Amino acid sequence: MDSFPLRQKRSSSQNLSALQARLQPYLPTAKYILKRIGIYFLTVLGAVTLAFIFFHLMPGDPLSIVFSQLEKTNLGRVTGGAEVAEAYKRLLGLDQPLPVQYLLFLRNVLIGGFDLGPSFVAFPTSTRDVIFRQLPWTIGYFTSAMLIAWLIGTTIGALLGWLRRIGLTSVAVGIATLLNITPVYIIAIAAIIFFGYHLHWLPTGQPYDPGLTPNWGDIEFIKNVLRHAIMPIASVVLVWGASFSLGMRSLMISVLGEDYLSYAKAKGLTPFMILRDYAFRNALLPQVTALGIALGNTINGVLILEAIFVVPGVGGLFVRAMAIHDFNVMQGVVLLSTVAVLTLSLIVDLLLPFLDPRIRRSND
Amino acid sequence: MTPIMQIRDLSVGYASRRAVGLAVTSVNLDVEKGEILGVVGESGCGKTTLAVALLGLIESPGVIQSGSVQLRLADDKLVDLVGLAPRPLRQIRWKEIAYIPQGSMSALNPVLRVRQQMTDTLVQHGLSKAEAIERARWALNLVSLDAAVLDKYPHELSGGMNQRVAIATAVTMQPAILVADEPTTALDVVTQRSILQELVKIRDQFGTTIIVISHDMGVMAQVVDRMAVMYAGRIAELGLVLNIFDAPLHPYTQKLIGSIPKDTGQHLEGLEGEAPSLWAYPPGCRFHPRCSLATAICREQTPELREIISGQYAACHHCD
Repeated sequence: MDSFPLRQKRSSSQNLSALQARLQPYLPTAKYILKRIGIYFLTVLGAVTLAFIFFHLMPGDPLSIVFSQLEKTNLGRVTGGAEVAEAYKRLLGLDQPLPVQYLLFLRNVLIGGFDLGPSFVAFPTSTRDVIFRQLPWTIGYFTSAMLIAWLIGTTIGALLGWLRRIGLTSVAVGIATLLNITPVYIIAIAAIIFFGYHLHWLPTGQPYDPGLTPNWGDIEFIKNVLRHAIMPIASVVLVWGASFSLGMRSLMISVLGEDYLSYAKAKGLTPFMILRDYAFRNALLPQVTALGIALGNTINGVLILEAIFVVPGVGGLFVRAMAIHDFNVMQGVVLLSTVAVLTLSLIVDLLLPFLDPRIRRSND
Repeated sequence: MTPIMQIRDLSVGYASRRAVGLAVTSVNLDVEKGEILGVVGESGCGKTTLAVALLGLIESPGVIQSGSVQLRLADDKLVDLVGLAPRPLRQIRWKEIAYIPQGSMSALNPVLRVRQQMTDTLVQHGLSKAEAIERARWALNLVSLDAAVLDKYPHELSGGMNQRVAIATAVTMQPAILVADEPTTALDVVTQRSILQELVKIRDQFGTTIIVISHDMGVMAQVVDRMAVMYAGRIAELGLVLNIFDAPLHPYTQKLIGSIPKDTGQHLEGLEGEAPSLWAYPPGCRFHPRCSLATAICREQTPELREIISGQYAACHHCD
């Protein structure tokens, strides 16, 4: 009888080691994920800090800019001088010593949900609201265009690489190279002249017809917005799609020279299976990383396209903020795009172990 | 005995803009059923090109200039692997002729599990998924690997284990012929030996014909029944491995065997010079610039491979 509790003890420790054994294969992945997330938060902290330092080192007193802004917006001369200045300093938190300002800034941005204080342009609207009003347009035009460009470009590039020995593909490669080196604004202007003014197929600019009142519940309004979005999106898709397809093509070609490809062929697999499981699958890995970085960068907007097509967006906002020294908005846009790049790289980093098993181990 | 594979006048080259350099020049070879045939030679002698040609894997810029590779199927029908259409070639691959690659570390796809790489070809050849996995387990067991390997990725296995996976994958369809290209290169000698033993075991158990390509005379001595010595794209000597080691006929073979370290402590003979490039073969016998026996006829006439002693062939003007 006295051996019974002993045995029970042993079996529970056996259970524990069995559990450990079962978790063992996932440990490197878990470690990898935790490490990535840790690095992410450290980098975001670094980016926020840099943004703070950078904008506090810039010449020019934000307050005098606010005052001149107030004057322009027909409030007349600011009277009361020093007291008003003091009041605004307090309002903006500029009366605190720099380290305190920094900590407040950190708190407001990281915990307060991207609270950067009021915008100077649209005082007293908050910077966050000013930026977030433009953001959907930017994402709608450029992030989605980049995604489409990646999907199309990767598919075409994979096929061009796979069929590299067929002479006709060099024509496509030539066209892609040409598109890749063409500045996007030339494509955009050419499209406006051709499809807009000549053929009258598509509107030449504006987010929607000038007479319309925005109503996102109205299907006709959405159709109108989409019609206006075709040319900006198509310009991005053409240029970046060409670049993605060239990248994917060279990735494919380098994978096609690998030993495992001729081995797969020797095994008697069909070309389709080889393309899907051996060539495309392996060439895709660096291409996914490229997508993450490209998507992050679109948050800046593509200023030149916003200007050409007269559409709202973060890029235009940034330029307007720069023209009148609206530090808060500039800071907000810079921070937002940095965090966007970092976040998308994080997502890619977290996705990669599922695509490439080697990463699960190599990074520990 | 009827040969299972007849290679006739096979020439394989690599095309440049202006010319074709022949890496394999009019090779004639009969492979007997159930034998282990070794193809040996130094780097660049054309042995890997020969192996690739036997598998029907020659691709641009490689080109088969002439010749045929007749494969005898189970029903005694002959199939020429040269110029076979892609679809019938795919069916013959792995079912009739399978391949053990050089350096399986890079031959296995790094992002797919062993399970998928072992079974995709079986499913392709008409087995059900369950049958394919059963077959893969059986094959792994055959090369003394645990079935747990199925769930691993190649980078999680050692070099020797990967090579065993490659061998197991090659026998899953129980092919008539196995082509092993440098199966033990990059492995330590202990692993080398056990890998070679697996090959012998497979031949003994299933009567599989195995063609082993290697630069290593030691590998030849350990496993091969008959061997073909290649020099500069041609077969220099062909015969039973025991006879060749006993009494090599071709001067090149003599030098090769002379350069194997022995335990007598005597000074090793070296082989002066380098093998010619496939773009600049010397006229006549391709070995003559390095040969101590070379005479005028060697510089002008290409020696044919002929039977000197019963069962032992050499391509030399001076080995009677």
